[in-house]
Amino acid sequence: MDCPTCEAMVDAYVDGELSARDSAEFETALAICAGCRKRLEAARTMSNLLRDLPAEPAPDLLRARIERDLRAIAGRPRERAREQLRWAAIAASLIVAVGLGWLGGNLTGQGGRQSDEMIAGYLRVAMAETPVDVASSDRHTVKPWFVGRVDYAPPVHDLTAQGFPLLGGRLDVVDGRKVAVLVYRRNQHRLALTVWPATAAGDTSPDVTVRDGFALTRWRHAGFEMRAVSDLAPAEMKSFATALDRAIDTGS
Amino acid sequence: MGLMSDAPEPDGRTPDGRTVERFRIVVLPHLDSAYGFARWLTRDPVAAQDLAQESLLRALRYFHAFRGEEAKPWLLRIVRNTWTDMRTRYAAESESLEIVENRAADGPDPEQSAQAGDRRRHVAAALAAVPAEVREVLVLREIEDLSYKQIAAVLDLPIGTVMSRLARAREKLAAELRGRLGRRDHGLSDL
Repeated sequence: MDCPTCEAMVDAYVDGELSARDSAEFETALAICAGCRKRLEAARTMSNLLRDLPAEPAPDLLRARIERDLRAIAGRPRERAREQLRWAAIAASLIVAVGLGWLGGNLTGQGGRQSDEMIAGYLRVAMAETPVDVASSDRHTVKPWFVGRVDYAPPVHDLTAQGFPLLGGRLDVVDGRKVAVLVYRRNQHRLALTVWPATAAGDTSPDVTVRDGFALTRWRHAGFEMRAVSDLAPAEMKSFATALDRAIDTGS
Repeated sequence: MGLMSDAPEPDGRTPDGRTVERFRIVVLPHLDSAYGFARWLTRDPVAAQDLAQESLLRALRYFHAFRGEEAKPWLLRIVRNTWTDMRTRYAAESESLEIVENRAADGPDPEQSAQAGDRRRHVAAALAAVPAEVREVLVLREIEDLSYKQIAAVLDLPIGTVMSRLARAREKLAAELRGRLGRRDHGLSDL
């Protein structure tokens, strides 16, 4: 085998596209050709570098959007997908909400992308079989869990007495920053509360928006921006916000 | 190429429940690949979601023409063709294409795993910076792990052309990476 032939085979060899016979021939030729050995090394290095790049799976929000499309096209939801589709509908309503600027109060003021991340975060809580990373109704378990995981101490309060037992906490990433998410339960419903330090001063009263039976609440209290999402009735969302504010104020 | 270019309803048929069901089983499992490919084509996470969604819808519309070939290259080909159509729209709607082309480092963010090193970041930035023709063939080969034959199907090219493009693409990426690394040693002296 002459060198130009050998050189032309380097890529196909690295890519596993040579027949067994050609491979053997190539390997023999390689032994006496330093140039081609170097080429082979370079091709392998490049290949490994690219394969080492982390894969980014399809975001939950995208899955939900596609589910919604498929459901609309198929006309009726499949039985076993019903639960999933319910959340797909929620995703759709959240997209509307975001379009209306509900999520405002950006962490860095960048807009759109961050909103998407936050919605995806709600969906993870809503759709996951295990919605929390730390499962406990004990605030003394949940609060320390966040230490070293987020760069602030989120307010953690169990509201069982008020009808909102704490299920636990989890992390999410919004605009490249890790944020704390607390998950509560109200009867059979889940409620996701995302909390991060406010940059603006002063408390605001809970602002509840309803889209397709889905309640979104935003407010600021005790130096924290609060965003709560659930499929609860607006009045219940309001009582959740009130109960949480009171618990923060009284330190209970 | 013409098979899935523009016409929305090739024969006026709307997919029924059973078609959607089959689609879920055959095509939907490749959503991660479709999104990953879209991520590198668009170099933007938001545009990638739009592209992947639009591609899946298009795939469903053409699904009746799917004849049991391999689903992954079939879907990736649709992603690529959809992007060809969409990028014109994107260019008109938002920023000029030139700006997108020059926004070099916005591939998938390797820093998401906190301990990811300098090297990965450089590689991702280099891959995002090379021309689309170079990038797509490398992504299909190395990241989506397609064979020459499958790449040929996605790009609608003869296998020989895939091979020469891939060889050129590797050289280009190596040059780009060398340019970025300068003389610093990142264990890439072989490139």
